[in-house]
Amino acid sequence: MARKTKAAGVEKELRQKPLFGLKRWQYVAINGFLIFHILAICCWCMPFGSPFIAACRDALRPYFVWSGLFQSWDMFSPLPKSANAYMEALVLYKDGSTTIWSFPRMEQLTLTEKYSKERYRKFMESVLDEKNATLWPDVARHVARLPEIRSGGPQKVLLVARWSPVVRQEDGTFARGPWDEHVFYSYDVKPEDLQ
Amino acid sequence: MTAKSFLAAWNEFFFAEQSPIPIALFRVIYGVMVIATLLLMRPDWTEWYGPHAWVSLPTMQGVEPGPRLNLFTVMPGTYFWAQALFWVFLASAACLTIGFLTRVNSVVVYLCLASIQQRNLFILHGGDTFLRVAGFFLIFAPAGAALSVDRLIRIWRGREGAEIRPRRPWAQRMIQFELTLVYFVGFCWKVAGAPWVEGSALSYIYHLDELQRFPVPSWLLNPTILKLATWFTLVLEFALGILIWIKEIRYYLLAIGLFFHLCLEYSLNVPMFQWDVLSAYVLFIDAGDLERVWNRIRERVGRYFGERITVIYDGGSERLRRFANFLGAIDIFGRLSFVDSRDSASQGAARVKGARNELVAETSLGARHGSDALRTVAAAVPLLWPVYVGLGIQKLFKRAASVEAS
Repeated sequence: MARKTKAAGVEKELRQKPLFGLKRWQYVAINGFLIFHILAICCWCMPFGSPFIAACRDALRPYFVWSGLFQSWDMFSPLPKSANAYMEALVLYKDGSTTIWSFPRMEQLTLTEKYSKERYRKFMESVLDEKNATLWPDVARHVARLPEIRSGGPQKVLLVARWSPVVRQEDGTFARGPWDEHVFYSYDVKPEDLQ
Repeated sequence: MTAKSFLAAWNEFFFAEQSPIPIALFRVIYGVMVIATLLLMRPDWTEWYGPHAWVSLPTMQGVEPGPRLNLFTVMPGTYFWAQALFWVFLASAACLTIGFLTRVNSVVVYLCLASIQQRNLFILHGGDTFLRVAGFFLIFAPAGAALSVDRLIRIWRGREGAEIRPRRPWAQRMIQFELTLVYFVGFCWKVAGAPWVEGSALSYIYHLDELQRFPVPSWLLNPTILKLATWFTLVLEFALGILIWIKEIRYYLLAIGLFFHLCLEYSLNVPMFQWDVLSAYVLFIDAGDLERVWNRIRERVGRYFGERITVIYDGGSERLRRFANFLGAIDIFGRLSFVDSRDSASQGAARVKGARNELVAETSLGARHGSDALRTVAAAVPLLWPVYVGLGIQKLFKRAASVEAS
């Protein structure tokens, strides 16, 4: 009943103010904008694998990438991260000495530091992903340029990943597994890197 | 459903005019979220966006090629310009929050936000993405139509009356659509993952040291409880993605969603994500309900600001009518009631003689005129307290001058 009354109200409004007070071209333009964006956004972020959707995504890519409308909502999914991992930089100096530089680790920070340094957690997660190997030279260069590293004359920077898998035990509970490590990138520091 | 009824429903959804208060309130909260994000990034701003950032601009452009709305590509790559962008962005976000030059600042905020996100895509979480896409549609929304300095200016200039004019909500609907998409697409991704379906996903997440914030009671980390919580997450994300459009159950879902995000905020270290998403909940609250809630708050809080004041103005004066409208808009705690002295029904003229061409403030202590009236009103309205202080100082100077002269 209430819905009928409301619909009648809208029809009345439409009769009194054709196109809701908009000029015809405005009404058409806004509707075009709405329909395009609703369909395009659905097409962009819905996890459908059909060739048609993939072709639509390719067609939309230039506009979405340019305008900043690209988006993905796959938080902790489909597979949540299943290992504790962090990254360190092992720096070899010209005089033969070494030092380890640690990226901020959330579990070692205070609450306020966690808020302001959280970007490092996300960044480390990205850097540790092999898909983002193009970032590794930049990261190594940045470590070499840090004031406390640069002053010692760095010769080589090794990026080291350390991780411990979260493992399901026989009784159904979960526990942190043993820590493992490996050097995933080595960078020879050039003089121009320290400029 | 016929094509005609679909068109009517479409028109009602996107174009039937409604109060702009929800979108204006969202603008305020959105602005605060952007400011908070910026301030949290402040200590490492040049580490992320400076000329020697962790990821260089050429690397970023190599990873994600193609033209983008990114001010860093047109700005000189110096520390000065990176810092300048921060301050321009912060100032613009503050202006957007208070609703000053709202449309312009919504564009500037979006440009700056898109730029910093495009400059380094490797440090973003879902909350950042939501702020960006919501910011895009906020540009088109009547976000300055209420709760804004822009509205006060329009009232002051006589372009708008005391009533807030309803607006078409199509841009607001797009932000609502984006919020529901966050949940629904999240749900779709999750049901594609075995750990979510079998119920072990949260057990993994709550064993990640980097994500832990405050301690969670051990009984809540029991595998059975975490399994139930994993499935509850799936159900809730589906409900908030789809069922939220059903008006009858909307407030229940919003309440559960609020509780869910507050639990995540307590237990997981993903700063700002929960608040960024929660900011858009206000768009699902009916403007009438928002007003009812606000009226209750103003009744409770307002009594601490002293007795109610009756402002009597000369409705024949365009200037005074505008000023009364301005006071009405700025009186957030409802401490003032207004009487037009020319309105015979109000009997204002009979009560106060001399309310012609001036503003009179009537309290239990009697009527005050001119600058005394303004000072009385300013004392009762929190947003006018700076004026009250200014008038007090002015009075002090006048008194000192008269003592000196005598």
